[in-house]
Amino acid sequence: MLSDRLISDIIDCGMQSGADLAEVFIEDFKYQNVGMLNGRVMKADSGFDTGYGIRLMSGTNVVYVYSNDSDEEVLMNLTREAASAIKKGDGAKIKEIEDLCRTTLSDIKKHPLDLSKQEFVDYLKQASSIMENYDPAITQSTCSLKTSTRIARIINSNGLNKEEESTRIRLAIEAIATKGNEKQSQRLAPGTLRGFEFLNEYPLLDKTRECCDKAIRMVNAGYAPSGKMPVVINNGFGGVIFHEACGHALESTSVGIKNSYLTDKLGQQIASPVVSARDNARIKGEWGSYATDDEGHESSDLLLIENGILKNYLIDELGARRMNSKATGCSRRESFAYAPTSRMSNTYICAGNDTHDDIIADTEYGLYAASMGGGSVDPATGEFNFAVDEGYMIRNGKIAEPVRGATLIGKGGEVLMNIDKVGNDLELSAGMCGSLSGNVPVTVGQPTIRVSSIIVGGRDAE
Amino acid sequence: MDLEYVESFLKKIVDKAVEFGFEEAQAAYSADSSMAIEILFGEVSSFENSTGRGISFKAKMNGQMGRAHTTEFTDEAIDFLLNSASDNCKVLDDEDPDFIYCDPEHSELIYKPVNEAYGKNTYKRFVDLGLSLEKNLLKSSDKIAAVDYLRISCSKGPDILVNSKGLKVLKDSDILTVVAGCRALSGEVVKSGGDFWYGKDIDLFDEKAFIDRLTSKLLPKLEAKSIKSGPYETIIENEAFISLFGSFLSNFYAYSMQKGLSLLNGRVGEKIASDCFNFSEYPMYEKAYNKVPFDGEGVLTMDKDIIKDGVFTTALYNLKSAYKEGCKSTGNGFGGTSVTNVVIKAGNRSVDEIAKDIGEGLFITDVSGLHAGLNPISGDFSLLSEGYLIKDGKVADSVEQITIAGNFYDIMLNVKEIANDTRSLPNSNGEFFSPSVYVGQINVSGEN
Repeated sequence: MLSDRLISDIIDCGMQSGADLAEVFIEDFKYQNVGMLNGRVMKADSGFDTGYGIRLMSGTNVVYVYSNDSDEEVLMNLTREAASAIKKGDGAKIKEIEDLCRTTLSDIKKHPLDLSKQEFVDYLKQASSIMENYDPAITQSTCSLKTSTRIARIINSNGLNKEEESTRIRLAIEAIATKGNEKQSQRLAPGTLRGFEFLNEYPLLDKTRECCDKAIRMVNAGYAPSGKMPVVINNGFGGVIFHEACGHALESTSVGIKNSYLTDKLGQQIASPVVSARDNARIKGEWGSYATDDEGHESSDLLLIENGILKNYLIDELGARRMNSKATGCSRRESFAYAPTSRMSNTYICAGNDTHDDIIADTEYGLYAASMGGGSVDPATGEFNFAVDEGYMIRNGKIAEPVRGATLIGKGGEVLMNIDKVGNDLELSAGMCGSLSGNVPVTVGQPTIRVSSIIVGGRDAE
Repeated sequence: MDLEYVESFLKKIVDKAVEFGFEEAQAAYSADSSMAIEILFGEVSSFENSTGRGISFKAKMNGQMGRAHTTEFTDEAIDFLLNSASDNCKVLDDEDPDFIYCDPEHSELIYKPVNEAYGKNTYKRFVDLGLSLEKNLLKSSDKIAAVDYLRISCSKGPDILVNSKGLKVLKDSDILTVVAGCRALSGEVVKSGGDFWYGKDIDLFDEKAFIDRLTSKLLPKLEAKSIKSGPYETIIENEAFISLFGSFLSNFYAYSMQKGLSLLNGRVGEKIASDCFNFSEYPMYEKAYNKVPFDGEGVLTMDKDIIKDGVFTTALYNLKSAYKEGCKSTGNGFGGTSVTNVVIKAGNRSVDEIAKDIGEGLFITDVSGLHAGLNPISGDFSLLSEGYLIKDGKVADSVEQITIAGNFYDIMLNVKEIANDTRSLPNSNGEFFSPSVYVGQINVSGEN
């Protein structure tokens, strides 16, 4: 822990050479992980890490130094080095540090780090034992529980003094089915900003059985066809399409330097009129939520797109300076080892009017992506790719045979305009997002949607 | 941090662990000092300087290996490590024993290569190089609209390991990287692309060669079009092949085989690739920037053929997986199993010469979405790709918005020829060297 005097000294030293903002970031991170493979506990580890980041800004010039050494000399030397490297600007007056303000959107009744590791193991064994005995086709299984508590304190030369606490739990279950030389896996990975009570409420046994059924179905499936066709994407993690195709391109990291296909498009039609979308960091207990961002701004519930019209970008402090705008409370980082940048939180396409069944019934032929894997995007061009973990053909308005090995590719701008149906069954789903400031927990989400035409990368001609 | 102090602190942890009741114990320190600058719009937009460190602890109790980690150098941190690892041992029920190791003949493993060039990595030198590179990238073509990302960074740090069996390890390493990403514009068409260079000596960075390579890859993309779906005779360029092959490397690890997660299980001695395919590990490979004389468990590394003339010759072992099969570790223990410097043996002909024989086909230069679009166990993949059509025996029109799909194991058996244009990409403990590979026919999805 750094003393108030040292924090003040760092800020004073940082501001001496003309910076207009000096910021100290202090992070404590405790974690506990347990992992099982084929019914046995193979991994149990714990950690307690501390780190310090110091950021100076002068206009759009940024200097960032960090260490996990709390020694005064180490931190002051780093600060002096930072001060000597910052562009000489007009500077700013240092304000008195305010009283500490603690914030959180964690919703904890039973703190996961208070539980014994045996309680973690007992929970996982329920899922593991189902997978071990479900069907001879399920040949391997993995399950893990990761819990962590992060306390991030931000103090800056504007007097800001805030501390955000977030406690998270992530469960991961994977069933692997084998048929000859073929192996297919299905995975479920709910995450929460709540306590252990979330896991007790989670329908673990039913979800694990579903996971096994899907793995068996997919290992017996034929290959997906190739070419352009309508694709219906299921709710929940299907929202990764919006996260990749649009969300990243709305971050000021790209927009602020005009390296996004959505630069200068505020107020313009960028998506089909049936599409509205939000980035809402303020949902209590949700995996991607936080009350205070990693540069001390209050988080927000931001309307990104309304009936296809672009309403807002995701802007951090640096982006605000580049875009002559205001920060939207979306600045995040994996840890003290990264300077913060604009990132998503809980990002989703809002519910529409169609039902899931009506959307399928209205589709003569196409692919139904029941569950999605990960993907990636180039924000400059909007070109994206993502994998379909569980797919089915749609024939004559009905879900038909399962297909595997499909990848969806396209350009964000085109796909957003090609969404022609939006269901009323909005669901959110936990994920991790990797970008310039490391891996951060995010939620993706959507109701069932239909994209009228998209390239499906499969292996079979149809 | 003073390394003698670090070593004595690690010894203190290990001694206290034995007193605590652990049968064996090991403490490892890893530190990293780094500096980086970023250039944007003709000035330094960002400067980073850092020192990071951590202690990883593992210890055995009742036959189980518990683990814990901290960044702190205090008595409270030692208590945390011991208590946490002990708690972890109580819930573990791994049926295969894990080991803390020391070869009495090699109980002191020290590798501290001297790189005098590291001292050239100064803030001023980085800024001069960065500004020059940005200016000359923008000047290289009127189609280069912006240099969106330009970062020059260096890092170095020691690893120290001490265990209760008497092993002491000290290893130093350093690296310098230059990364640039540009945006190209032609009418309404926008394309982005970048490149990176890594090495040990900033004087060896060839700015002109870097710019030529980056622009020669990026500018043709402005004319790129999708192509019709169907099977194409395909060459996969060196770096793209490294990315693809690298995604399936875990299949060669004995651990994966023992857990039923590799289709190569029990197939040593079998033909798994075409005759022209040779894949070897050379930990001290002369062309590699990072030489690896010993692994993370204190076992000496060794040269080995993994695929020889298409035949799978050995799986890769750490101490734990080797014990299970009653054999010796192959020096691939790095907190699990991993490789050092690995090499796919080059052939004799250039890509242009091979393309001439192919006549009509595809030259894939980039594959994306490897973390999602492939199944590392079954070998199936379907990946967003870019490249060029091969027309009339020549690498011709640029291609975008396609996927290539197939199966890793099928591709290996179907390799027709290896080119002579070896490049390398860094991996976690070394580098992966590969030329471009003519993989025969592959399924492409694009326009209907």
